[in-house]
Amino acid sequence: MKIGGGHVRGGGGAADGPVKVTQTPYVVGSSVLGVKCIDGVVISSDTLASYGSMAKFRKISRIHKVSDACVIGAGGEFSDFQEIKKTMDGVMIEQFCMDDGYVLTPSAIHQYLVRVMYGRRNKMDPLWNQVVMAGFHDGKATLGMVDQVGSNFESEVIATGYGLYMGLPLLRNAYRPDITVAEAKKLLEDIMRVLFYRDARTSNSIQIAAVTKDGVEISEFYDLETKWDYQRFVDGARSGDVSTW
Amino acid sequence: MDPLLRPGHNAPHLPAAMGPGYADVFDRLSRQGGRVETTGTNALPTFDAHAGAKQASFQPYQNNGGSVVAVAGKDFCVVASDTRFGLGFAVPTRMISRNLVLNDKVVLATAGMQADTCTLHKVLRIRLDMYRQNHGKDMSLGAVSQLLSNTLYYKRFFPYYTFNVLGGVDENGEGFCYGYDAIGSHEKVKVVCTGSSQSLIQPVLDNQVDGKQMYDGQPVAELSLEQTVELVKDCFSSAGERDIYTVGLDGRGQPPLYVKILKLAFVLTSHPLRSKYTRSHFIQGQSPAVRDSQTTTDTYFT
Amino acid sequence: MSGIGTGYDLSTTTFSPDGRVFQVEYSSKAVENSGTLVGVRCKDGVVMAIEKIVTSKMMVKGSCRRCHIVDLHAGLSVAGMGADGRVIVDRARQEAAQYRSIYGIEIPGRVLAERIASFVHMYSLYWFVRPFGCAVMFGSYSEEEGPQLYVIEPSGIVYRYFAYALGKGKQIAKTELEKIKFDEITCREAIKELTNIIVGKCRDESRDKAFELEMLWICDESLRKCQLVPSALVDEALELAKAAAESDDEDME
Repeated sequence: MKIGGGHVRGGGGAADGPVKVTQTPYVVGSSVLGVKCIDGVVISSDTLASYGSMAKFRKISRIHKVSDACVIGAGGEFSDFQEIKKTMDGVMIEQFCMDDGYVLTPSAIHQYLVRVMYGRRNKMDPLWNQVVMAGFHDGKATLGMVDQVGSNFESEVIATGYGLYMGLPLLRNAYRPDITVAEAKKLLEDIMRVLFYRDARTSNSIQIAAVTKDGVEISEFYDLETKWDYQRFVDGARSGDVSTW
Repeated sequence: MDPLLRPGHNAPHLPAAMGPGYADVFDRLSRQGGRVETTGTNALPTFDAHAGAKQASFQPYQNNGGSVVAVAGKDFCVVASDTRFGLGFAVPTRMISRNLVLNDKVVLATAGMQADTCTLHKVLRIRLDMYRQNHGKDMSLGAVSQLLSNTLYYKRFFPYYTFNVLGGVDENGEGFCYGYDAIGSHEKVKVVCTGSSQSLIQPVLDNQVDGKQMYDGQPVAELSLEQTVELVKDCFSSAGERDIYTVGLDGRGQPPLYVKILKLAFVLTSHPLRSKYTRSHFIQGQSPAVRDSQTTTDTYFT
Repeated sequence: MSGIGTGYDLSTTTFSPDGRVFQVEYSSKAVENSGTLVGVRCKDGVVMAIEKIVTSKMMVKGSCRRCHIVDLHAGLSVAGMGADGRVIVDRARQEAAQYRSIYGIEIPGRVLAERIASFVHMYSLYWFVRPFGCAVMFGSYSEEEGPQLYVIEPSGIVYRYFAYALGKGKQIAKTELEKIKFDEITCREAIKELTNIIVGKCRDESRDKAFELEMLWICDESLRKCQLVPSALVDEALELAKAAAESDDEDME
């Protein structure tokens, strides 16, 4: 789906010259975080989509359930994410119709999405997103990501958007191979709070999804508890600093 | 010299039909010379979700860094790559596979853009499987080298942004390497390095393996497999100190933090018993930094 | 008059002088030779049952499906040539997916039934295609419309029914269906009734070929998702029906 002025596709006529296909993201979501746990996998995102510096949509979900064993969360162009949701739903209904007893595993879903996104970048008509995929299958958690050029990997901890710079180091520090889903939820909440404090495109309304042996559980939107009376917040980072520079 | 800087590979020579957007990209790529831009508009090209409406138009290429090395000996070849996934100044993950074990005698290692690497590896794996079905045998090193060249050149006008080294042992049991540019030009050599640390590692290998720049040109002693592995590990640990897009070892030759950072695939003689090393020998790891790439390939790209 | 052998039955593009299209009528013959297919609308959903003739003892149980899923909320069963049926299923899935992609909601039963009918109708209009050798029974259960049952015949005609039967035993089955108030019972209860009609009334075990009973439902019990009726339920119904049929035989003796 082409949205707004983000896409420019010249007409087919010779007078138009070569066909131009470009895209820049307009309404974008920020970070998605993910942690692989011993008993499942957890991802989190805020519920904001920004248009430049305007908080355009403040209560939208950037997390989507793909199957009973898999969720995706995405940053980047919001309309492209809706397109991805539609595509994945279509694939899952196709699978449902086959009715052959097989279900796509989370890593198969991840790889499918990688191929879709890489294919779109090859057409120079990308889906401008950083998608985090979390799944739990056969007693094992998977956590992967893919971006608009098709870069992809699986990892124990994943962060996208601003979270890549500010969240990932915190995630790596706090990560243990035996971390539990309950602990990870708390951890992600804490890091979302850090992002909210410092990333001007992150809101305090967030959503957390966990995939465990019991299936997918996506939380309602809820607001982070915040605290603004830290001395450094009040006085600025330089409080107490008497040096001249 | 960066392969994409070779004459005739510049944007102005591209057909007009590819459009200015494309030419722009390729031009930038050429000037970048396979290295990540650390300043300017492209410094943090894709994970910057905040540029909003001001963001530059779509760049289909992304440099994820990484270095790959292949060193051939008399009856072996060592192929190694680091595992850092670099993106601007960030490292989204420290563990990606750049190696692909194509069969018992051929290993490929690829630096450059991870998405293209992943796709190229997929394509090659399928082509080698088809060859195996049709011919009832594995592809030889020479055949793979030509196939890889063709595969790269097939995308001559929208190249895979990958820098490959291919290593293995040929039909006679002799070790050889092939170095490639992004569009399929290749050269059969004894030692090669490409990727972000190419300029740091290649001269050292030339000196240590080929005996270049040696005083009075006296012939160098041929390296044993053990010596070669140690040399390659040293190359990575040294390059890692100076190149932020390549991971090295820390001072004790141990991997920093919790991940292995150096990955080596060993292709041994055509007759495994001739060497005291087996592949599993390395999987278990002499050093915690050293693992066979196959394990990682299976884990990350199934 | 103009019957078989007069040349009016070679193409769907030519009417006979008395206004018939013989090719389409012949295709209905393929449907009549099919194993019996019965479908009903109950108070909580739609359920269909088909007597799938097993052509070979070596056939794997459950293969050669005649009940197909079209979308989350819709499914259809094929009476007649199974291969022709799959073409219709394929088209129905595409229509359902396309509607969902455009409107973001599930396709209403009536819309899909009419689209399938139009598709089937197209194959009764041109010299270079032959009509479908099958009729399909189509069921859907949407929030808005509730459970619905449609039958699409090779001519492209479509009707909505409370209950219907196709195939060999259709006359007997229809007579039996009329006796039961399906809109007062659940699909789970209807399973037994349908099984009984196929096994106990339509079939003659001494004469008829081996069969498998395949059932599809979309009902509250299946969470309004289209699915094959769980084999445990089908088997249970089969046992009951067989036992009832045997005691009937004994009574007659």
